[in-house]
Amino acid sequence: MQLQYYLLLAAALFCIGIYGLITSRNAIRVLMSIELLLNAVNLNLMAFSNYLDEAAKGQVFSVFVITIAAAEAAVGLAIVLAIYRNRDTIDMERFNLLKW
Amino acid sequence: MSHLFSQSAWLLPCYALLGAILALPWSPGFIRKTGPRPAGYINAIMTFTAFGHSLLALVETWNQPPQALSFAWLNAPGLNISLDLEISTVALGACVLITGLNLLAQIYAIAYLEMDWGWARFYSLVGLFEAGMCLLVLCNSLFFSYVVLEILTLGTYLIVGIWYNQSLVVTGARDAFLTKRVGDLILLMAVVALLPLSGTWNFTELTAWAKTADLDPTLATLLALALVSGPIAKCAQFPFHLWLDEAMEGPYPATILRNTIIVSTGAWVLIKVQPILALSPLGSSVVVAVGAATAVGASLISIAQIDVKRVLSYLTSAYMGLVFVAVGIGENHAALVLLLTYAIAMALMVMSTGGIVLNNITQNLTQYGGLWSRRPLSGISLIIAGLSLIAMPPLGGFWSLVEISDALWQSRPLLFGVVLAVNGFVAFSVTRLFGLMFGGKLTDFTRRSPEGLWLLVLPMMLLAGFALHLPLLLAQWQLLPDWASLNRFVAVLMTWSSLAGIGFGALVYLNPNWEKPVRLNPQALQDFFAYDFYTPQLYKATVVFAVDRISKLIYWVDRYIVDGTVNLVGFATLFGGESLKYNTTGQSQFYILSIVLSVAVFVILASFPYLSQFATIGF
Repeated sequence: MQLQYYLLLAAALFCIGIYGLITSRNAIRVLMSIELLLNAVNLNLMAFSNYLDEAAKGQVFSVFVITIAAAEAAVGLAIVLAIYRNRDTIDMERFNLLKW
Repeated sequence: MSHLFSQSAWLLPCYALLGAILALPWSPGFIRKTGPRPAGYINAIMTFTAFGHSLLALVETWNQPPQALSFAWLNAPGLNISLDLEISTVALGACVLITGLNLLAQIYAIAYLEMDWGWARFYSLVGLFEAGMCLLVLCNSLFFSYVVLEILTLGTYLIVGIWYNQSLVVTGARDAFLTKRVGDLILLMAVVALLPLSGTWNFTELTAWAKTADLDPTLATLLALALVSGPIAKCAQFPFHLWLDEAMEGPYPATILRNTIIVSTGAWVLIKVQPILALSPLGSSVVVAVGAATAVGASLISIAQIDVKRVLSYLTSAYMGLVFVAVGIGENHAALVLLLTYAIAMALMVMSTGGIVLNNITQNLTQYGGLWSRRPLSGISLIIAGLSLIAMPPLGGFWSLVEISDALWQSRPLLFGVVLAVNGFVAFSVTRLFGLMFGGKLTDFTRRSPEGLWLLVLPMMLLAGFALHLPLLLAQWQLLPDWASLNRFVAVLMTWSSLAGIGFGALVYLNPNWEKPVRLNPQALQDFFAYDFYTPQLYKATVVFAVDRISKLIYWVDRYIVDGTVNLVGFATLFGGESLKYNTTGQSQFYILSIVLSVAVFVILASFPYLSQFATIGF
């Protein structure tokens, strides 16, 4: 039962990514956690594609995810940069202006 | 013989009602230039018209069977309410009495209200009363009797409260309205309960129904008690008698009406429903008990009053009590005759004392004295009135009282003793009234006391003449008990009780050697009667207290529990919004946590049924 191990690994990676996403105070590290999440997804896709799908559509999905993730990371870094220019910090706990 | 006047007897209430409406334009707010007097003249003319009409109609219907008139009032599915009128000799006789006394009271009021601006209000209310009472005696329907009684209750409220800038007037009018209203409302229960039982509100049909009715005794008793409670309040019987005392704050001419015929409206209804009362022995006993208690109590209270009008108001209660006794033992005829003789005597008594109050200012009996040489006409009128009120042959009251006592003599000697005692007390009270006003020395209040103007004296003397002629008229109308069958012993006893009352009263109050004011030993007993058995305190401690507390409690419940519950919902929503908004922390990472947690919870919930399978399969 190889598939389940892959899936469990991906889930573990996903959880680590979630943990980093929620707890990091550094905005760059948040983006890095998102990359972890996306990689966990890619692992899933590859595993399913390998074990369940003859046509390997999952691999195509993964390629798309990698490309979109690159674009997203670029936009994300641009946003972080824009915020940094205004606020001189990338501490996530100081970006709480839009509250109640 | 033509029936023109008796057929059109339904016009009788209309005359007075028209007068009442026509009087209104002379309210000080509308016609400002002429003064208020035309209102009084119009009403006197209308009342005279009604008086003439009823007199002619009475002559027409003499020895004729009653005629029935009926007007449809409301036709609803399963309920037809019609205004039934019965043009009978008794009803028309009552109309003559009502309109006649009204005419005299209105003429009297022209003099009495000389210095008053409120004629329009006064006369239109008196007109309303006249209309209501004429309709009441003519109508042959319990439902419409109730309607009229209620309208008259409102009328009492307004006429007692005519000088509403006086605080005692306002409280008196309040009590008069509420007390009578309570009685009326309980009467309404009986009126409503009667329809399913008998299927009719027509008195004639009710009488026929009552002859063969087979009611459950409890039901009959409850029905009788409810029917009685209306008249108990109307006639100022114990324990609903305080209103009449306080209603003495109203103007004197209105008192003439109230003490004589308005309180009799209750007795009239009581006489009409007597066949239904007779279905329940307990109901009849209650009528007798209430009447007897009131007669004794009120006559004793009247002896202890120092206010002229209040002496008269308790005598009114006492006499209505005697009417109750008569109705309770089924002596309807005697009750009607007693109402007639009583009304004339009491009206005369109120008129004669009213003229004295008008120009001696005070109503305090202890401030009166020595008026006999200055006010002979008033004095003679008071004597005639007093003698016609009590059982003093040959005047009117004797015959009705003897007829009642005669009926009691065999069956209920105890009640006979009560009537005998009440007669003595009333005689004493009237003698005391006379002695304090006309006997003794002049006081500062009575030192200069001229006889009233002709308009004040004329109705008084006319009525005195009528009171003197009443025995002759009664004999003419064959309303007197048959001389042969008259129980001489009872008659003599009643006369002796009157004489004893008069004699003892004269001994105390016409005797300059007897120290005045008279002090009773113990003083507490005198106060007990003088303060009307402390009835105001009794009301305050019982009904008023309970209603007041309950209404305050209900207000509190409404204000805090009912309102509070609704407000709590609003508060909870507000509080929810106010507190839940802190979920929006502004930390995007917290939002992500919320998303992740909710997805996780959703997934767990959605996959819950399958979790057990995972558990069994194992990894």
